Amino acid sequence: MTVTTPSAAAREGVPAIRLRGATRTFAAASGSRYTAVQDVTLDIDEGRFVAVVGPSGCGKSTILNMVAGLMEPTSGTVEIYGERLQGINPRAGYIFQQDALLPWKTVIENVMLGLILRGVPRKEARAQGMAWLERVGLAPFADRFPYQLSGGMRKRVTIAQHWVTDPDILLMDEPFSALDVQTRQMMEAELLAIWSGSRKTVMFVTHDLEEAIALADEVVVMSAGPASRVVGRYTVDLPRPRNLMDIRMEPHFMELYGEIWSRLREEVLKSHERSRALGRQ
Amino acid sequence: MSEAGLSAGSERRRRGLVTTAQVGIAVLFLAAWQGLTAVGWLDPFFFSMPSRVLVRMWEWVSTGYIWRHLAVTLWEALLAFLLGALLGVIMGFILARIRILAEIIEPYIQMLNSIPRLILGPIFTLWFGLGVASKVAFGVTIVFFIVFYSTYQGVREVDAVVLNNARMLGASERQLLRHVLIPSALSWIFSSLHTSIGMAIVGAVVGEYLGAARGMGYLIAQAQGVFDTTGMFAGMVMMALAVLVVDYLVRQLERRLLRWKPAAGGAWQADAS
Repeated sequence: MTVTTPSAAAREGVPAIRLRGATRTFAAASGSRYTAVQDVTLDIDEGRFVAVVGPSGCGKSTILNMVAGLMEPTSGTVEIYGERLQGINPRAGYIFQQDALLPWKTVIENVMLGLILRGVPRKEARAQGMAWLERVGLAPFADRFPYQLSGGMRKRVTIAQHWVTDPDILLMDEPFSALDVQTRQMMEAELLAIWSGSRKTVMFVTHDLEEAIALADEVVVMSAGPASRVVGRYTVDLPRPRNLMDIRMEPHFMELYGEIWSRLREEVLKSHERSRALGRQ
Repeated sequence: MSEAGLSAGSERRRRGLVTTAQVGIAVLFLAAWQGLTAVGWLDPFFFSMPSRVLVRMWEWVSTGYIWRHLAVTLWEALLAFLLGALLGVIMGFILARIRILAEIIEPYIQMLNSIPRLILGPIFTLWFGLGVASKVAFGVTIVFFIVFYSTYQGVREVDAVVLNNARMLGASERQLLRHVLIPSALSWIFSSLHTSIGMAIVGAVVGEYLGAARGMGYLIAQAQGVFDTTGMFAGMVMMALAVLVVDYLVRQLERRLLRWKPAAGGAWQADAS
Protein backbone atom coordinates (compact mmCIF):
# COMPACT_ATOMS: atom_id res chain seq x y z
CA MET A 1 0.00 0.00 0.00
CA THR A 2 2.87 2.35 0.65
CA VAL A 3 5.83 1.25 -1.40
CA THR A 4 4.81 2.76 -4.70
CA THR A 5 7.01 4.06 -7.43
CA PRO A 6 6.89 7.81 -7.83
CA SER A 7 3.83 8.78 -9.80
CA ALA A 8 3.97 10.19 -13.30
CA ALA A 9 3.59 13.66 -11.86
CA ALA A 10 6.67 13.17 -9.75
CA ARG A 11 8.78 12.39 -12.74
CA GLU A 12 7.61 15.57 -14.39
CA GLY A 13 9.30 17.72 -11.81
CA VAL A 14 6.93 17.89 -8.86
CA PRO A 15 9.23 18.08 -5.82
CA ALA A 16 9.36 15.09 -3.50
CA ILE A 17 8.92 17.39 -0.52
CA ARG A 18 7.31 20.79 -0.60
CA LEU A 19 6.77 22.95 2.45
CA ARG A 20 4.59 25.97 1.88
CA GLY A 21 4.49 28.62 4.53
CA ALA A 22 4.75 25.94 7.17
CA THR A 23 4.51 27.36 10.69
CA ARG A 24 4.44 25.41 13.91
CA THR A 25 3.46 26.87 17.24
CA PHE A 26 3.53 25.13 20.59
CA ALA A 27 1.61 25.98 23.74
CA ALA A 28 4.21 26.70 26.40
CA ALA A 29 3.65 25.69 30.01
CA SER A 30 3.07 29.27 31.12
CA GLY A 31 0.13 29.57 28.72
CA SER A 32 2.10 31.65 26.25
CA ARG A 33 2.78 30.35 22.79
CA TYR A 34 6.11 29.45 21.31
CA THR A 35 6.67 29.49 17.57
CA ALA A 36 9.32 26.97 16.61
CA VAL A 37 9.38 27.51 12.87
CA GLN A 38 7.71 30.25 10.91
CA ASP A 39 6.71 30.42 7.30
CA VAL A 40 9.11 27.80 6.00
CA THR A 41 8.88 27.40 2.27
CA LEU A 42 11.14 24.79 0.78
CA ASP A 43 11.14 22.47 -2.22
CA ILE A 44 13.27 19.37 -2.30
CA ASP A 45 13.49 17.53 -5.60
CA GLU A 46 13.38 13.80 -5.85
CA GLY A 47 16.70 12.04 -5.38
CA ARG A 48 18.41 14.98 -3.72
CA PHE A 49 20.41 14.79 -0.52
CA VAL A 50 19.59 17.95 1.38
CA ALA A 51 21.17 18.88 4.68
CA VAL A 52 19.44 21.29 7.04
CA VAL A 53 21.74 23.17 9.40
CA GLY A 54 21.13 25.80 12.01
CA PRO A 55 21.97 26.72 15.57
CA SER A 56 20.65 24.39 18.22
CA GLY A 57 17.03 24.94 19.14
CA CYS A 58 16.16 26.37 15.72
CA GLY A 59 13.36 23.93 15.04
CA LYS A 60 15.18 21.66 12.61
CA SER A 61 13.55 18.61 14.17
CA THR A 62 10.16 20.32 13.97
CA ILE A 63 10.53 20.53 10.20
CA LEU A 64 11.41 16.85 9.98
CA ASN A 65 8.47 15.92 12.19
CA MET A 66 6.13 17.89 9.95
CA VAL A 67 7.48 16.16 6.83
CA ALA A 68 7.16 12.82 8.64
CA GLY A 69 3.56 13.60 9.50
CA LEU A 70 4.21 13.11 13.20
CA MET A 71 3.31 16.76 13.68
CA GLU A 72 0.90 18.92 11.73
CA PRO A 73 1.86 22.46 10.78
CA THR A 74 -0.20 25.03 12.67
CA SER A 75 -0.55 26.84 9.38
CA GLY A 76 0.80 26.23 5.92
CA THR A 77 1.08 22.86 4.21
CA VAL A 78 3.37 19.95 3.56
CA GLU A 79 3.11 18.26 0.19
CA ILE A 80 4.67 14.93 -0.67
CA TYR A 81 4.98 14.28 -4.40
CA GLY A 82 2.36 16.92 -4.99
CA GLU A 83 -0.15 15.54 -2.53
CA ARG A 84 -1.02 17.27 0.69
CA LEU A 85 0.22 15.26 3.63
CA GLN A 86 -2.32 14.17 6.23
CA GLY A 87 -1.32 11.84 9.02
CA ILE A 88 1.86 9.79 8.91
CA ASN A 89 3.89 10.11 5.74
CA PRO A 90 3.79 6.57 4.32
CA ARG A 91 6.62 7.20 1.87
CA ALA A 92 9.16 8.30 4.47
CA GLY A 93 11.57 6.50 6.73
CA TYR A 94 12.83 8.33 9.81
CA ILE A 95 16.17 7.84 11.52
CA PHE A 96 15.76 9.42 14.93
CA GLN A 97 18.49 11.06 16.92
CA GLN A 98 17.75 8.91 19.96
CA ASP A 99 17.66 5.13 20.17
CA ALA A 100 14.48 4.08 18.46
CA LEU A 101 14.84 0.31 18.14
CA LEU A 102 12.25 -1.82 19.88
CA PRO A 103 14.27 -3.14 22.81
CA TRP A 104 12.20 -6.32 23.19
CA LYS A 105 12.85 -7.46 19.63
CA THR A 106 16.09 -8.94 18.39
CA VAL A 107 18.13 -7.15 15.74
CA ILE A 108 16.64 -9.18 12.88
CA GLU A 109 13.10 -8.83 14.25
CA ASN A 110 13.62 -5.07 14.39
CA VAL A 111 14.77 -4.97 10.78
CA MET A 112 11.87 -7.20 9.67
CA LEU A 113 9.27 -5.14 11.50
CA GLY A 114 8.40 -2.69 8.72
CA LEU A 115 7.87 -5.57 6.30
CA ILE A 116 5.82 -7.60 8.79
CA LEU A 117 3.61 -4.56 9.38
CA ARG A 118 3.01 -4.42 5.63
CA GLY A 119 1.94 -8.04 5.60
CA VAL A 120 5.07 -9.51 4.01
CA PRO A 121 5.33 -13.23 4.94
CA ARG A 122 7.79 -13.87 7.77
CA LYS A 123 10.14 -15.99 5.72
CA GLU A 124 10.52 -13.42 3.01
CA ALA A 125 10.77 -10.56 5.51
CA ARG A 126 13.53 -12.45 7.27
CA ALA A 127 15.45 -13.00 4.06
CA GLN A 128 15.22 -9.32 3.11
CA GLY A 129 16.13 -8.28 6.63
CA MET A 130 19.16 -10.55 6.66
CA ALA A 131 20.28 -9.14 3.31
CA TRP A 132 20.20 -5.67 4.83
CA LEU A 133 22.01 -6.75 7.96
CA GLU A 134 24.63 -8.22 5.66
CA ARG A 135 24.93 -4.85 3.93
CA VAL A 136 25.47 -2.94 7.16
CA GLY A 137 27.85 -5.66 8.38
CA LEU A 138 25.72 -6.87 11.27
CA ALA A 139 24.55 -10.28 10.07
CA PRO A 140 26.41 -12.08 12.89
CA PHE A 141 24.44 -10.02 15.42
CA ALA A 142 21.00 -10.86 14.02
CA ASP A 143 19.81 -12.65 17.16
CA ARG A 144 21.19 -10.20 19.68
CA PHE A 145 19.05 -7.68 21.50
CA PRO A 146 19.65 -3.95 20.99
CA TYR A 147 21.12 -3.47 24.46
CA GLN A 148 23.91 -5.87 23.51
CA LEU A 149 25.12 -3.62 20.67
CA SER A 150 27.21 -0.46 20.66
CA GLY A 151 25.67 2.91 19.77
CA GLY A 152 27.11 2.81 16.25
CA MET A 153 25.80 -0.70 15.64
CA ARG A 154 22.35 0.28 16.86
CA LYS A 155 22.35 3.16 14.39
CA ARG A 156 23.27 0.81 11.57
CA VAL A 157 20.38 -1.46 12.56
CA THR A 158 18.03 1.55 12.51
CA ILE A 159 19.22 2.47 9.03
CA ALA A 160 18.64 -1.10 7.84
CA GLN A 161 15.27 -1.12 9.61
CA HIS A 162 14.00 1.80 7.57
CA TRP A 163 15.86 1.16 4.35
CA VAL A 164 14.50 -2.39 4.05
CA THR A 165 11.00 -0.96 3.55
CA ASP A 166 12.33 0.99 0.57
CA PRO A 167 10.91 4.43 1.42
CA ASP A 168 11.12 7.16 -1.24
CA ILE A 169 12.12 9.71 1.36
CA LEU A 170 14.57 9.34 4.21
CA LEU A 171 14.45 11.75 7.11
CA MET A 172 17.46 11.80 9.39
CA ASP A 173 17.64 13.80 12.59
CA GLU A 174 21.26 14.24 13.66
CA PRO A 175 21.60 10.48 13.32
CA PHE A 176 25.30 10.32 14.11
CA SER A 177 25.61 13.04 16.72
CA ALA A 178 25.88 10.58 19.61
CA LEU A 179 28.75 8.63 18.00
CA ASP A 180 32.46 9.18 18.40
CA VAL A 181 34.30 10.92 15.58
CA GLN A 182 35.78 7.85 13.89
CA THR A 183 32.60 5.79 14.03
CA ARG A 184 30.79 8.79 12.72
CA GLN A 185 32.98 9.10 9.63
CA MET A 186 32.58 5.42 8.89
CA MET A 187 28.83 5.73 9.21
CA GLU A 188 28.71 8.77 6.96
CA ALA A 189 30.67 6.90 4.29
CA GLU A 190 28.37 3.89 4.63
CA LEU A 191 25.32 6.10 4.33
CA LEU A 192 26.59 7.67 1.11
CA ALA A 193 27.45 4.26 -0.30
CA ILE A 194 23.94 2.98 0.39
CA TRP A 195 22.29 6.12 -0.85
CA SER A 196 24.20 6.63 -4.09
CA GLY A 197 22.26 5.18 -6.97
CA SER A 198 19.15 4.66 -4.81
CA ARG A 199 17.40 7.80 -6.08
CA LYS A 200 16.02 8.34 -2.61
CA THR A 201 15.37 11.82 -1.35
CA VAL A 202 17.21 12.50 1.89
CA MET A 203 16.53 15.27 4.36
CA PHE A 204 19.41 15.26 6.81
CA VAL A 205 19.31 17.52 9.86
CA THR A 206 22.58 18.30 11.58
CA HIS A 207 24.23 21.08 13.53
CA ASP A 208 27.59 20.12 12.06
CA LEU A 209 28.28 22.15 8.93
CA GLU A 210 31.23 19.98 7.88
CA GLU A 211 29.06 16.90 7.93
CA ALA A 212 26.36 18.73 5.98
CA ILE A 213 28.71 19.81 3.19
CA ALA A 214 30.50 16.47 3.03
CA LEU A 215 27.26 14.55 2.52
CA ALA A 216 24.74 16.78 0.79
CA ASP A 217 23.88 18.16 -2.63
CA GLU A 218 22.44 21.20 -0.98
CA VAL A 219 22.73 22.88 2.42
CA VAL A 220 19.75 24.76 3.85
CA VAL A 221 20.55 27.23 6.62
CA MET A 222 17.93 27.98 9.26
CA SER A 223 17.84 31.13 11.36
CA ALA A 224 18.14 31.14 15.13
CA GLY A 225 14.93 30.22 16.98
CA PRO A 226 12.28 31.02 17.99
CA ALA A 227 10.30 31.49 14.78
CA SER A 228 13.17 30.26 12.68
CA ARG A 229 12.95 30.21 8.92
CA VAL A 230 15.11 29.41 5.94
CA VAL A 231 17.79 32.07 5.49
CA GLY A 232 20.00 30.50 2.89
CA ARG A 233 20.28 27.65 0.40
CA TYR A 234 23.67 26.60 -0.93
CA THR A 235 24.39 24.11 -3.68
CA VAL A 236 27.27 21.77 -2.90
CA ASP A 237 28.80 21.00 -6.27
CA LEU A 238 31.51 18.67 -5.01
CA PRO A 239 31.78 15.69 -7.39
CA ARG A 240 30.55 12.25 -6.38
CA PRO A 241 31.52 9.68 -5.31
CA ARG A 242 33.16 11.57 -2.49
CA ASN A 243 36.03 10.44 -0.38
CA LEU A 244 34.88 11.48 3.05
CA MET A 245 38.25 10.79 4.63
CA ASP A 246 39.94 13.60 2.76
CA ILE A 247 37.15 15.76 1.44
CA ARG A 248 37.45 18.24 4.29
CA MET A 249 40.94 19.17 3.04
CA GLU A 250 39.87 20.02 -0.48
CA PRO A 251 40.07 23.71 -1.43
CA HIS A 252 36.54 23.81 -2.85
CA PHE A 253 35.18 22.24 0.32
CA MET A 254 36.84 24.94 2.39
CA GLU A 255 35.55 27.60 0.03
CA LEU A 256 31.98 26.35 0.46
CA TYR A 257 32.49 26.02 4.17
CA GLY A 258 33.66 29.63 4.43
CA GLU A 259 30.75 30.89 2.40
CA ILE A 260 28.04 29.02 4.32
CA TRP A 261 29.68 29.52 7.69
CA SER A 262 29.67 33.30 7.27
CA ARG A 263 25.88 33.11 7.11
CA LEU A 264 25.44 30.42 9.74
CA ARG A 265 27.81 32.20 12.10
CA GLU A 266 25.45 35.17 12.43
CA GLU A 267 22.63 32.85 13.42
CA VAL A 268 24.75 30.92 15.86
CA LEU A 269 25.79 34.16 17.55
CA LYS A 270 22.20 35.37 17.67
CA SER A 271 21.08 32.08 19.17
CA HIS A 272 23.84 32.29 21.72
CA GLU A 273 22.86 35.84 22.68
CA ARG A 274 19.22 34.86 23.06
CA SER A 275 19.91 31.91 25.29
CA ARG A 276 22.21 34.05 27.43
CA ALA A 277 19.50 36.68 27.69
CA LEU A 278 17.06 34.00 28.78
CA GLY A 279 19.57 32.81 31.33
CA ARG A 280 19.79 36.29 32.87
CA GLN A 281 16.03 36.65 33.31
CA MET B 1 33.54 -8.57 28.62
CA SER B 2 37.18 -8.79 29.65
CA GLU B 3 36.32 -6.93 32.81
CA ALA B 4 33.79 -9.62 33.71
CA GLY B 5 36.42 -12.26 32.97
CA LEU B 6 38.94 -10.65 35.27
CA SER B 7 36.53 -10.32 38.15
CA ALA B 8 35.00 -13.78 37.78
CA GLY B 9 37.30 -15.23 40.43
CA SER B 10 36.64 -12.55 43.01
CA GLU B 11 32.95 -12.69 42.12
CA ARG B 12 32.92 -16.41 42.91
CA ARG B 13 34.69 -15.79 46.21
CA ARG B 14 32.15 -13.12 47.06
CA ARG B 15 29.26 -15.46 46.27
CA GLY B 16 30.85 -18.11 48.41
CA LEU B 17 31.13 -15.72 51.32
CA VAL B 18 27.52 -14.65 50.94
CA THR B 19 26.25 -18.25 50.89
CA THR B 20 28.38 -19.21 53.89
CA ALA B 21 27.13 -16.23 55.86
CA GLN B 22 23.51 -16.94 54.92
CA VAL B 23 23.74 -20.57 56.06
CA GLY B 24 25.65 -19.44 59.14
CA ILE B 25 22.90 -17.08 60.21
CA ALA B 26 20.26 -19.81 59.88
CA VAL B 27 22.34 -22.32 61.86
CA LEU B 28 23.09 -19.78 64.56
CA PHE B 29 19.46 -18.78 64.88
CA LEU B 30 18.17 -22.37 65.05
CA ALA B 31 20.90 -23.38 67.51
CA ALA B 32 20.09 -20.45 69.79
CA TRP B 33 16.39 -21.24 69.64
CA GLN B 34 16.94 -24.94 70.32
CA GLY B 35 19.45 -24.22 73.10
CA LEU B 36 17.40 -21.54 74.89
CA THR B 37 14.25 -23.68 74.94
CA ALA B 38 16.19 -26.85 75.91
CA VAL B 39 17.71 -25.23 78.99
CA GLY B 40 14.36 -23.67 79.82
CA TRP B 41 15.21 -19.97 79.45
CA LEU B 42 12.43 -19.83 76.89
CA ASP B 43 9.25 -21.75 77.61
CA PRO B 44 8.77 -24.44 74.94
CA PHE B 45 5.04 -24.15 75.46
CA PHE B 46 5.05 -20.67 73.94
CA PHE B 47 8.12 -20.92 71.71
CA SER B 48 8.18 -24.61 70.74
CA MET B 49 11.54 -26.01 69.58
CA PRO B 50 13.14 -26.38 66.15
CA SER B 51 13.45 -30.14 66.66
CA ARG B 52 9.77 -30.47 67.45
CA VAL B 53 8.80 -28.28 64.50
CA LEU B 54 10.94 -30.43 62.24
CA VAL B 55 9.35 -33.63 63.55
CA ARG B 56 5.88 -32.18 63.05
CA MET B 57 6.68 -31.16 59.50
CA TRP B 58 7.97 -34.66 58.81
CA GLU B 59 4.75 -36.12 60.19
CA TRP B 60 2.67 -33.88 57.98
CA VAL B 61 4.68 -34.68 54.88
CA SER B 62 5.07 -38.42 55.50
CA THR B 63 1.37 -38.96 56.27
CA GLY B 64 0.40 -36.74 53.34
CA TYR B 65 -1.75 -34.68 55.70
CA ILE B 66 -0.20 -31.39 54.56
CA TRP B 67 -0.77 -31.68 50.82
CA ARG B 68 -4.49 -31.03 50.64
CA HIS B 69 -4.09 -27.94 52.81
CA LEU B 70 -1.13 -26.65 50.84
CA ALA B 71 -2.82 -27.44 47.53
CA VAL B 72 -5.95 -25.53 48.49
CA THR B 73 -3.95 -22.48 49.53
CA LEU B 74 -1.84 -22.45 46.39
CA TRP B 75 -4.89 -23.04 44.23
CA GLU B 76 -6.66 -20.07 45.82
CA ALA B 77 -3.54 -17.96 45.37
CA LEU B 78 -3.22 -18.96 41.73
CA LEU B 79 -6.84 -18.14 40.97
CA ALA B 80 -6.59 -14.84 42.81
CA PHE B 81 -3.42 -13.99 40.95
CA LEU B 82 -4.77 -14.86 37.50
CA LEU B 83 -8.08 -13.09 38.02
CA GLY B 84 -6.52 -10.04 39.67
CA ALA B 85 -3.79 -9.76 37.07
CA LEU B 86 -6.22 -10.12 34.18
CA LEU B 87 -8.54 -7.43 35.54
CA GLY B 88 -5.58 -5.22 36.40
CA VAL B 89 -4.05 -5.48 32.93
CA ILE B 90 -7.35 -4.78 31.18
CA MET B 91 -8.21 -1.82 33.40
CA GLY B 92 -4.65 -0.52 33.19
CA PHE B 93 -4.71 -0.55 29.40
CA ILE B 94 -8.13 1.05 29.13
CA LEU B 95 -7.44 3.84 31.58
CA ALA B 96 -3.98 4.56 30.18
CA ARG B 97 -5.35 4.90 26.64
CA ILE B 98 -8.48 6.88 27.54
CA ARG B 99 -7.28 9.80 29.61
CA ILE B 100 -10.70 11.27 30.35
CA LEU B 101 -11.90 7.98 31.82
CA ALA B 102 -8.80 7.79 34.00
CA GLU B 103 -9.48 11.28 35.33
CA ILE B 104 -13.07 10.42 36.18
CA ILE B 105 -12.32 7.11 37.88
CA GLU B 106 -9.09 8.01 39.65
CA PRO B 107 -10.54 9.10 43.02
CA TYR B 108 -12.60 5.91 43.23
CA ILE B 109 -9.62 3.73 42.56
CA GLN B 110 -7.62 5.58 45.19
CA MET B 111 -10.48 5.16 47.63
CA LEU B 112 -10.87 1.44 47.04
CA ASN B 113 -7.15 0.87 47.24
CA SER B 114 -6.94 2.62 50.60
CA ILE B 115 -9.38 0.21 52.26
CA PRO B 116 -7.49 -2.09 54.65
CA ARG B 117 -8.00 -5.53 53.12
CA LEU B 118 -8.48 -7.25 56.45
CA ILE B 119 -11.82 -5.60 57.09
CA LEU B 120 -13.09 -6.99 53.78
CA GLY B 121 -12.64 -10.52 55.16
CA PRO B 122 -15.93 -10.78 57.04
CA ILE B 123 -17.99 -9.29 54.21
CA PHE B 124 -16.40 -11.61 51.64
CA THR B 125 -17.07 -14.60 53.88
CA LEU B 126 -20.67 -13.48 54.05
CA TRP B 127 -20.93 -13.00 50.29
CA PHE B 128 -18.88 -15.90 49.03
CA GLY B 129 -19.02 -18.40 51.87
CA LEU B 130 -16.26 -20.29 53.63
CA GLY B 131 -14.91 -21.98 50.51
CA VAL B 132 -12.39 -21.06 47.86
CA ALA B 133 -14.35 -18.14 46.40
CA SER B 134 -14.05 -15.81 49.37
CA LYS B 135 -10.26 -16.31 49.53
CA VAL B 136 -9.94 -15.68 45.81
CA ALA B 137 -11.98 -12.50 46.11
CA PHE B 138 -9.78 -11.43 48.97
CA GLY B 139 -6.59 -12.02 46.96
CA VAL B 140 -8.00 -10.29 43.90
CA THR B 141 -8.53 -7.07 45.83
CA ILE B 142 -4.79 -7.02 46.55
CA VAL B 143 -3.36 -8.30 43.27
CA PHE B 144 -5.59 -6.16 41.09
CA PHE B 145 -4.20 -2.86 42.34
CA ILE B 146 -0.57 -3.90 42.08
CA VAL B 147 -0.96 -5.07 38.49
CA PHE B 148 -3.28 -2.22 37.56
CA TYR B 149 -0.83 0.47 38.63
CA SER B 150 2.11 -1.24 36.90
CA THR B 151 0.21 -1.64 33.65
CA TYR B 152 -1.11 1.90 33.76
CA GLN B 153 2.39 3.21 34.30
CA GLY B 154 3.86 0.92 31.64
CA VAL B 155 1.44 1.99 28.94
CA ARG B 156 1.65 5.68 29.82
CA GLU B 157 5.40 5.77 29.92
CA VAL B 158 6.13 3.93 26.72
CA ASP B 159 9.08 5.56 25.00
CA ALA B 160 7.71 8.20 22.58
CA VAL B 161 10.63 7.73 20.17
CA VAL B 162 10.10 3.97 19.95
CA LEU B 163 6.40 4.58 19.42
CA ASN B 164 7.03 7.12 16.65
CA ASN B 165 9.58 4.84 15.07
CA ALA B 166 7.01 2.05 14.83
CA ARG B 167 4.52 4.54 13.41
CA MET B 168 6.99 5.59 10.72
CA LEU B 169 7.54 1.94 9.89
CA GLY B 170 3.84 1.78 9.09
CA ALA B 171 2.24 0.47 12.27
CA SER B 172 -1.53 0.92 12.59
CA GLU B 173 -3.06 1.57 16.02
CA ARG B 174 -3.69 -2.14 16.49
CA GLN B 175 -0.17 -3.02 15.43
CA LEU B 176 1.20 -0.43 17.85
CA LEU B 177 -0.67 -2.20 20.63
CA ARG B 178 0.77 -5.55 19.70
CA HIS B 179 4.35 -4.58 18.87
CA VAL B 180 4.98 -1.66 21.20
CA LEU B 181 2.41 -1.03 23.94
CA ILE B 182 1.92 -4.58 25.19
CA PRO B 183 5.62 -5.54 25.24
CA SER B 184 6.45 -2.29 26.96
CA ALA B 185 3.76 -2.78 29.58
CA LEU B 186 4.75 -6.43 30.02
CA SER B 187 8.10 -5.43 31.46
CA TRP B 188 6.32 -3.30 34.04
CA ILE B 189 3.82 -6.02 34.81
CA PHE B 190 6.61 -8.51 35.30
CA SER B 191 8.43 -6.19 37.61
CA SER B 192 5.36 -6.39 39.84
CA LEU B 193 4.98 -10.14 39.47
CA HIS B 194 7.00 -11.08 42.54
CA THR B 195 5.00 -8.74 44.68
CA SER B 196 1.63 -9.68 43.29
CA ILE B 197 2.15 -13.45 43.52
CA GLY B 198 3.43 -13.08 47.06
CA MET B 199 0.38 -10.97 47.87
CA ALA B 200 -1.96 -13.52 46.33
CA ILE B 201 -0.55 -16.13 48.73
CA VAL B 202 -0.83 -13.74 51.66
CA GLY B 203 -4.43 -13.07 50.65
CA ALA B 204 -5.25 -16.78 50.57
CA VAL B 205 -3.66 -17.52 53.95
CA VAL B 206 -5.21 -14.54 55.69
CA GLY B 207 -8.58 -15.37 54.16
CA GLU B 208 -8.32 -18.93 55.46
CA TYR B 209 -7.25 -17.73 58.85
CA LEU B 210 -10.40 -15.62 59.10
CA GLY B 211 -12.64 -18.54 58.33
CA ALA B 212 -12.23 -21.73 56.31
CA ALA B 213 -12.47 -25.51 56.45
CA ARG B 214 -9.05 -26.26 54.99
CA GLY B 215 -5.87 -24.58 53.80
CA MET B 216 -2.66 -23.45 55.45
CA GLY B 217 -4.29 -20.48 57.14
CA TYR B 218 -6.91 -22.81 58.58
CA LEU B 219 -4.18 -25.17 59.79
CA ILE B 220 -2.39 -22.38 61.61
CA ALA B 221 -5.64 -21.06 63.10
CA GLN B 222 -6.53 -24.57 64.33
CA ALA B 223 -3.14 -24.99 65.96
CA GLN B 224 -3.54 -21.61 67.63
CA GLY B 225 -6.94 -22.65 68.95
CA VAL B 226 -5.39 -25.51 70.97
CA PHE B 227 -2.19 -23.62 71.97
CA ASP B 228 -0.18 -25.84 69.68
CA THR B 229 2.79 -23.54 69.01
CA THR B 230 4.68 -26.34 67.29
CA GLY B 231 1.87 -26.67 64.76
CA MET B 232 1.79 -22.90 64.20
CA PHE B 233 5.51 -22.73 63.53
CA ALA B 234 5.41 -25.80 61.32
CA GLY B 235 2.61 -24.21 59.28
CA MET B 236 4.56 -21.00 58.90
CA VAL B 237 7.74 -22.75 57.82
CA MET B 238 5.89 -24.95 55.33
CA MET B 239 4.27 -21.83 53.90
CA ALA B 240 7.62 -20.04 53.66
CA LEU B 241 9.15 -23.01 51.82
CA ALA B 242 6.25 -23.07 49.39
CA VAL B 243 6.68 -19.35 48.70
CA LEU B 244 10.39 -19.87 48.06
CA VAL B 245 9.62 -22.50 45.44
CA VAL B 246 6.97 -20.33 43.78
CA ASP B 247 9.33 -17.38 43.76
CA TYR B 248 12.03 -19.46 42.13
CA LEU B 249 9.62 -20.51 39.37
CA VAL B 250 8.55 -16.91 38.80
CA ARG B 251 12.16 -15.85 38.49
CA GLN B 252 12.79 -18.52 35.86
CA LEU B 253 9.78 -17.34 33.87
CA GLU B 254 10.83 -13.73 34.20
CA ARG B 255 14.32 -14.52 32.97
CA ARG B 256 12.90 -16.14 29.87
CA LEU B 257 10.39 -13.43 29.04
CA LEU B 258 12.53 -10.41 29.84
CA ARG B 259 15.74 -11.63 28.29
CA TRP B 260 15.84 -8.51 26.11
CA LYS B 261 16.57 -6.46 29.20
CA PRO B 262 20.12 -5.86 30.33
CA ALA B 263 20.64 -7.64 33.64
CA ALA B 264 20.69 -4.99 36.32
CA GLY B 265 23.57 -5.47 38.73
CA GLY B 266 22.95 -6.81 42.20
CA ALA B 267 22.70 -10.04 44.10
CA TRP B 268 19.36 -11.03 42.58
CA GLN B 269 20.76 -11.28 39.07
CA ALA B 270 24.22 -12.48 40.03
CA ASP B 271 23.19 -16.13 39.96
CA ALA B 272 21.90 -15.83 36.40
CA SER B 273 24.86 -17.63 34.79
